[in-house]
Amino acid sequence: MPNWGIVILKTFTLITLLFLMTKLLGKRQLAQFTIFEYISGIVLGGIVAIHTSTMKYTFTYGIISMFIWFIITFAVEQFSLKNKSFRDLFQGKSAVLIQNGKIMEDNLKKEGFSSDDLLEHLRYKDIFNVADVEFAVLEPSGMVNVLPKKESLPPTAKDLELKLAPAKEPQTVVMDGEVMLEGLANLSLNPTWLEIELEKMNVSIENVFLGQVDHHGQLTVDLYDDNIAVPSPTQKPLLKAQMKKCQADLELFALATENDQSKKMYDKNSEKLQQAIDLVKPYLK
Amino acid sequence: MTVGSEVRTCYATIKSIEAELSTLAVETTDNKAKQSLEKSIQIMEEIKADLDKQLIMLINEEPQYK
Repeated sequence: MPNWGIVILKTFTLITLLFLMTKLLGKRQLAQFTIFEYISGIVLGGIVAIHTSTMKYTFTYGIISMFIWFIITFAVEQFSLKNKSFRDLFQGKSAVLIQNGKIMEDNLKKEGFSSDDLLEHLRYKDIFNVADVEFAVLEPSGMVNVLPKKESLPPTAKDLELKLAPAKEPQTVVMDGEVMLEGLANLSLNPTWLEIELEKMNVSIENVFLGQVDHHGQLTVDLYDDNIAVPSPTQKPLLKAQMKKCQADLELFALATENDQSKKMYDKNSEKLQQAIDLVKPYLK
Repeated sequence: MTVGSEVRTCYATIKSIEAELSTLAVETTDNKAKQSLEKSIQIMEEIKADLDKQLIMLINEEPQYK
């Protein structure tokens, strides 16, 4: 067989082998949490590169060394899943750099982190003042994760005691102009419903690049033709406005009437309507 | 507009709000949302009943605008 034939053959075998190995090693390898995973990835790639392009080295040696690298990496990965102390040894432990707002100088020194390094990593997290940090930890991957002090965090809905409607993942029902039956089924909707909704918007399904439905059954679409304006959903804001208007009307009636009984009735109902508005307000956004 | 027709408009709006709320209640897959919507539908029904009575009274008071 001519040399080029051997190269082709070798390349195909090694690519398949490498593909299978990386597939088996899983996504952890891709994330490269530890230096060991990083190195093994490079070495596997390097062996393949050398053996596909040059004829100098014995093919079987390459395969053997690839297998050993693969098996050790794989074994370490599997053992790490089972055993905590093994994991600590191979994947390293995270080191606390700042605790209760105080910098742990000993840990910094142990990890070879200078104060400049610490400041730099805090800046990556948009923190310029160490006083804003409650807790910071150096992960085995070399990343610093920071928990800012509560007062320097943006307030959440929980802090503000706001009632929000729970958000659930939207389902994609149209992709590249084609109906995704799975997404529709997840919301227990059917293609007829989709047809009707699209008709309401006055667009044809062939023109829809992407269509999603939220868990309230609201469809939003993006069209291929960006010159066509899609009506934005108005149903809910309109409903909210209507409820508010009605409530105001009832209050007005209560002020206008001279009949005591009617006044009471209007007042009571305007209060009730306000209750209803408060009740559904989170869902009408 | 007479008071009677104003109240009637309001009554009609409440009715349409109730209908919209029921549509939303049927469409949503979230249980909490459904409960809130159903409760507000109930409130709408109560308001409707009260306004209905008021309307009858107003018609009797202003028979010329019936």
